Order: sequence, then structure tokens, then C-alpha cells
Amino acid sequence: MLEQAFNGLVSGSFYALLALGLAVIFGMLGVVNFAHGAFYMLGAFGAFILLDSFGVNFWVALFVVPIVLGLAGIALERLFIQRLAPLDPLYNFLLTFGLALILQDVVKHRYGVQSQPYPRPFGGSIDLGLFTYPAYQVFVLAVSLAVCGTVWLVLTRTRVGMIVRASTERPELTRALGIDVARWVSPVFGFGIALAAFAGVLAAPMRAVNPLMGADLIITVFAVVVIGGLGSVFGSVAAGFAVGLVSALGNLYVPALSQTLVFILMAAVLLWRPAGLFGREEAL
Amino acid sequence: MLRVDRLSAWYGEAQALREVSLEVAEGEIVTLVGRNGAGKTTLLRCLMGLHGKTSGTIEFLGEDITALGPHRRARRGLGYVPDDRGVYATLTVEENLLLPPVSGKDAWPLERVYETFPRLRERRRFPGTKLSGGEQQMLALARVLRTGARLLLCDEPTEGLSPLIVQQIGDILREVKAAGVTVLLIEQNVHFAATVADRHHLIAEGRIVESMDNAEVRAREHELLDYLGI
Amino acid sequence: MVISPRAAASGGPARVRRCVVPSLALAAAGALLAGCGGGPAGGGGKISDGKVVLAVLNDQSGVYADVSGRGGVEAVRMAVADYKAKYGDKAVADTIEVIAADHQNKPDVANSKAQELYDRRKADVILDVPTSSAALAVANVAKNKKKVFIDIGAATTELTGKSCNKYTFHYGYNSYMLAHGTGTALTKDGAKNWYVVYPDYAFGQDMQKTFTAAVRNAGGNVVKSDPAPFPNDNFSTFLLKAPGLDPKPQVLGTMQAGGDLVNLVKQYNEYKLRDKGVGLAVGLMFITDIHSLGPDALSETRFTDFWYWNMDATNRAWADKYQAKTGKRPTAVQAGDYSAALQYLEAVQRAGTDKSDDVVKQLEGAKVNDVFARNGTIRAEDHLLTHDVYLAQVKAFKDVKEPWDYEKILKTIPAAEAFQPVDPACKL
Repeated sequence: MLEQAFNGLVSGSFYALLALGLAVIFGMLGVVNFAHGAFYMLGAFGAFILLDSFGVNFWVALFVVPIVLGLAGIALERLFIQRLAPLDPLYNFLLTFGLALILQDVVKHRYGVQSQPYPRPFGGSIDLGLFTYPAYQVFVLAVSLAVCGTVWLVLTRTRVGMIVRASTERPELTRALGIDVARWVSPVFGFGIALAAFAGVLAAPMRAVNPLMGADLIITVFAVVVIGGLGSVFGSVAAGFAVGLVSALGNLYVPALSQTLVFILMAAVLLWRPAGLFGREEAL
Repeated sequence: MLRVDRLSAWYGEAQALREVSLEVAEGEIVTLVGRNGAGKTTLLRCLMGLHGKTSGTIEFLGEDITALGPHRRARRGLGYVPDDRGVYATLTVEENLLLPPVSGKDAWPLERVYETFPRLRERRRFPGTKLSGGEQQMLALARVLRTGARLLLCDEPTEGLSPLIVQQIGDILREVKAAGVTVLLIEQNVHFAATVADRHHLIAEGRIVESMDNAEVRAREHELLDYLGI
Repeated sequence: MVISPRAAASGGPARVRRCVVPSLALAAAGALLAGCGGGPAGGGGKISDGKVVLAVLNDQSGVYADVSGRGGVEAVRMAVADYKAKYGDKAVADTIEVIAADHQNKPDVANSKAQELYDRRKADVILDVPTSSAALAVANVAKNKKKVFIDIGAATTELTGKSCNKYTFHYGYNSYMLAHGTGTALTKDGAKNWYVVYPDYAFGQDMQKTFTAAVRNAGGNVVKSDPAPFPNDNFSTFLLKAPGLDPKPQVLGTMQAGGDLVNLVKQYNEYKLRDKGVGLAVGLMFITDIHSLGPDALSETRFTDFWYWNMDATNRAWADKYQAKTGKRPTAVQAGDYSAALQYLEAVQRAGTDKSDDVVKQLEGAKVNDVFARNGTIRAEDHLLTHDVYLAQVKAFKDVKEPWDYEKILKTIPAAEAFQPVDPACKL
């Protein structure tokens, strides 16, 4: 039981990292980034390509891949998303949705749909007192908690975080108060993408690395973001871990329902609090 | 200090401002009065650069700022206090104060802000929106004073506040004026306006229809209140 | 912001994505296939439209694209070339065209594509069609149009059971063969207690039933069967609880396929279940899956295979030819595509015509011995190809000598034992 809960938290790590990126992007840009899953997939493929073609190991990939994809995200924001920003948000939905399909197909064209091999960076188990657990999974949980915690600290304790929060809440007023909001938009988008890529690299050793991995996962992540409250950073992280926990326990007790459990949870939360657990009404 | 020349603004096809020209001299407090929808808030937003569709020119401290974005105007010394006070819920009181960058040499240090508004010090760790309405207004004013703005654009700072707090705001405005800061104020409370301002413009249907001094405002107070529907 | 919850709740974007994606691939595939055949129509009236058209209908861009996909089309073209080389001037079918279409693993798409292939594109036979629901849809079209359909890629026994028909053949493998090969062999080897995890959709449920029956018949016991979401990337719940079941299972039988299988095996290794005394058996595994995981991850896992490229010199020679064309080693399904196309053309040759009824007559009861099928018979009663299949084991990494050299054949399961007896529900 405790072991199962722990396992839920591990898979929640991925939800949390992805939802966190979606949340900061949505908050700052008002864009629901449908390409988020594709960047997660690219993160895993990035790690695979680095290892396969250049012999670059996991640890280096864990830094390099998010940086490279984060920069690609910045370019994407500057070249495309920014241009569509003044129009109806639907344009950016379509843009990112189309982009997801293109990225997926490009990878599919080059590597096929079969999963690519990626070895574990280390094996072994860790004794957690009540039970022992595979070391890599403990590592995944620890790292994602650390990353989410760091992002939280940056957002709440630094001037950059203050500016991001202010711009998220009231972009126009923030500009009128002398802050160049536009300057922060691209980096925030890039950062959200980097988080997705980071999750992708983390996933490579323990999950199937194939072009569809992001598309399969992102649906749940959208549910996570909705549960947590759109644009709420804390909410999306908390909901990420909670959803991981719920699906793990769901698999255990009601396996037949486990596919829909997350969405039942989402519906329940929306009925109870339409803005999500940590969302503010006006954020809708 | 501020010179507005034939400023017009539109919301889609509807024209909200019609060739408004206006000057404000350094150290003055000037109020804009007018009914709801007359264009007062639009004028302030245009001055701040927040309104999209405009024509005409705006000159501030001898520089044409018409083409500048809002954050650049702020950095040149325009301080904006929006009609809803613009207090951030996701920022603490102190963060609200520290958010805008300092733009002028007469910026109030945080310590002075807290001495003037002791309530803000007491509640500095609270989220901005946990303050009462009056406190939020103080916060919004204090925030622009801390930047050292040369010209404050205040959109109805007294709206919905108790007389005691209105009086306090009056004191602050006078103190600010004494320190050489200029204020352009939207105010429906003409009685209050006459106690703090030097000159008044009456706006109707996007135009300045009349300009008055304090004596005239006092003399026509009832007529004005009737007109404004208060 | 209503879009994301609604899309999410209906299981939206990913599904949509999968259906939008293949159009590009389809266009590309079309280009690739042009220019087979050519030359004036000869033969004088025995061949409909003056040419024999072989249509490959399969998944060209989705989860099974690597198992058959365009490689399957290439294999069929190899069969055409071999047929022409064998008969030369005496070939009944002197103009042969190979066309292809993508059914995206969807029964409705498969249904309309099959009609289009038979009617508009003059297909005389449709080949491959993975995904059981799609295969059943095509079988129905074949029955109505009275045209030949030879399925290779799908697993359902229903094709030769209650949904069998005069024009439909099932060629290669099915869920009974997979479950019995692996379930029976391992249970007889001493793995009495099983824990079965299966994907919660038609194929998985079918596999779970057949597998459970096979294990019980061999004297074993299925301790528990759990349905898992599909698709799913986290199997930890099942893996964690496996060793704690009572009685403790010696084998975890997974019916997952493709990406799900890869996820499950990666996590199986994470939890070191092998060290905890829970072995792994895989219901359906293609060589592409082993490649994805790396042989180490699956080392010593046993499964039933129905063809392996490196089993003997014959297979290897064909695989070399295939590799020269595609750059890859063939999967079992691709070899099946080749054999089915070849046997179809041989039947046309014997019949002297491509008329469906005459070809069907030639196929029924035909003995097949080619690079794919050993000791093969196309059963006249239900149109199932029975042939030798193999209990295989994934090689340990140190034993892998060359790329794609992943399997060790442990034993041959003779054709007579490998497949189910004729289902009385099938009435041709």
C-alpha cells in the first residue's frame, strides 16, 4: 500500500513537471500549449539521439536537452506564437496543435513508431525503511520534487518570480508600472518547454521512447492542469502528484476504472470548484 | 510638463475621445470630472499608453511619448493608479510596493512609505487583496510614490471610501504636491476635488467642455453634482 | 478556457492526432508503389481488367507501422518479382500491380478503404490488415464483394471462427497460437502460478481468455488477471503487487503490445521482479519490440514466434534480400505478407484465372512450404493456415552477434498442435 502510494508519486512526478510548464506558459501567455507533449517526446528522443549518435550519457543529456529545446521554444515563441498573440486564442491553440502533429510525424518519419532503446543510467535499489524501491525511480521523484520546489522558490522569493506573478495576474497593469512584460514572455515559454524536455529525458530510461509517448501522456496532464486550476503553479504541481497517486491506487483497487478515474476526478473537482482546486475564478 | 494635443481614441468604431487638448504644469493638481462613460478613464489610459487605437500627440517633459509603450512611459516618470487600484492578489503588500522599478530621484524609500502608512508595514506579508479598500488605495498610491514618479495619473482614488480615508488621501495629495509632484486626477467628488486641486476640466462625450478654477467649482457645486447625477 | 477539459474528457487530442497524421504517409506510400507491372495487358480474358491487383491494406503510420506497414508492401513486391521470375512467359498473370492503403487501425476506415480497393482500384486480393476489428470489417467487405482477403496481421480467431467466410483466409498467427504456445510450454516447464496483465480492449481481453484457458489446460493456475488502461505508461501498480499475491505467481504474463509492452518490461526490470522469483512471459511480441527494449531488458523471456529471420539458411537468405531493399530485417508479419502474396499468385497460376471463386478453390487445402510456412496447410474447413511455429527465447546480450540477432528458437511446435481445431461456429 505505502509502496503503491510511492509509485503513484513517481508517476506523478512526470505529471507535475509537465503541468508546471503548461501552467506557467498559460499564466504568462494565455496560451494552452498543445505541443507540450510533443516537447516531452522530443526530450526523450533528444536523450536517445545524443546517446545513440554521439555517445553522450544520460547526465549530460539531462542538462543539454532541456537547454536546447528551451532555446527552440524561445525561437518558436518569437517567430510564431507572438505574432498570433493579439488574435483570438484559438489561433495559438491551432498553431501548437498543428506543431505537435508535425513534430510527431517528423520523428515518426525518421525513427518509425517502434520504441527506441534507452538504458538505465544506474540500477540498484534503495532501502526506504518500510520498503526498498528501484533507485532510479527514487531519483526521479527526488529530482522532480527538487525542480518543482526550486521553481516555487524562484517564483515566490525572487524579483523575477514577482514579475512573472504580476505579469500573469495583470499583464497590462504590470506594463503600466514600468515593467517590460514582453521581454519576459519568451523566456517563460522557453522555460516551460525546457521543463517538458527535462521530464522527457527523465522518462527515457523507464518508459517507451516513441513518437506517441507525449500524445498519450498529455491528455492526463491537461486533466491535471484543469484539476489544479488553470495557470495556478502550485495547483498544477499538487494536482500532478495527486493524480499520480489516484491512478496508482485506482489501478490497485478498481483496475477496470483506472482509465477514467482521472477524468471522473476532474469532473468532480469542476463541479465543486469550477476554477479548479487552486484556481481563482477570475483566471477563467 | 504634460501637453496633450488633439488626442482622439476609439473602441472599435465608437469614438471615445474627440480631439482632447490639455496642458498640465509642473506641481499642479488638475482634476477631470464628468459622468460615467464621458471618457475620463480612457484619457488616462491613453496617457499611460494602454489604449490601442488613438491619434494626436502626447508630450511629457518636453518629449513626444506618443509612440512609447506603457513601461517606457512609466520609466520616464508617469505613475498610474488605476480605478480598481490595481493591487495584485498574488503579491504580498511589500511585493506590491517593490514591483515597479524606481524611475525618479525623488523616490520614496520603503521606510518612508511605511512611516506614512503604518498599516502597510503591519500587513506587509499579507497578499495585497487582503487589505481593506482604503488600505488598498493607500497601497496603490504608495506604490507610485515609491517609484519617484513625476506625474501621477489617479483614477478616482476616493471612490467608495469613508470620509475619514478620503480626508487622509487629500492630505497625501497635498503633501505630494508640496514635494513638487504633479497630479492628474479623475474625481467625481467635486467637493473633495476643490480642496486638493488647482484646476478642473469637465469632460462630456469625449471632449473637454469646460475648464474651471476652485472658486467656480465651489460656486457651482450643486449644479455640478446634479449634472454628474450624484 | 473550455477547450482543454473537454478535449481531455473525451480522450480527444491523441486520438485525433492519430487519425490526422497518416495522410502524409499515405501520399508518400502511393508514390512508392507506382511503377510495378506496366506493359500491355495480355493473357486474353482470363484475368479481370487485364491485370492482377494485389492490395496491401495496413497501418502505415501508427503503432503497427513497423511490424508490417510499408515493409509489408515491399515484401509483397518481392513475391511478385519471384513469381514472375519463376514462371516467366508462362505466367498467367503477366501484369501484376501492387497497391497500398492505410487503414489507421480503424474498422470504419478499413471498411471504406476495402470497398474502394475492390471497386475503384480493381484489387483482386487484399492482404495484411492488422488490428482485429479492422480485419473483421474487411472480411465482411470481402464476403459481400466476393473478393479474396488474406489476413496476416490480425490476431483474432474470429476470422476463422464465427465470422469466417468463403473469401477470407487467415494466414500466419492468431491469439490461440500465441497463448497456447507460450502458456502451455511454460506451465509444463513448471510455472504453475500465473499473474496475467492485459490491456483493456478487445485484443487484450481475447488474449487473457485464451491464455487463461491454455494455462489451466496445462495444469496451471491463473492467480489473478488485471486489466490495465490502454494506452498506459505506468505499470508499477501491477508490478509491485505481483510478488505479494497468494499463491505467489512464478510468471507474470503480459498481453500488452507495442509501446505498452515496452513500458511494462522497462518497469519490470526496474523492480527486479526476476530476482524476486517472478518470471516474465509475453503474449504477443514482435522482433521490433525486442529491438526497442534492447535484448538485455528481455533477456531469457520466452514467447511464441511464427517466423524468425535468422532461424535457418533459407530464412536468412530471404532476409538478406529483404534487407537489401529496405535496409531492415523483416518481421514475421512481413514474411507472412510475402508468403501470402506468393501463394495467392500460385493459386492464380493453377486456376488459370484471377476469378475469386476459382482462386479460393485452389487455395483451399493447399499445402504450403515456402520461406515463411513450414508444413503449412490452408485448412479447407475454416481457411486458417496451419504451420509450424516456434517457442523462442530472447538472447542474452552477450550472445547477440549482429544487429537484430535477438532470438533463440527453443523448439518447434508442430503445425498440428500449434493452432486450434476447426471451430464448429465457422460455416463456409
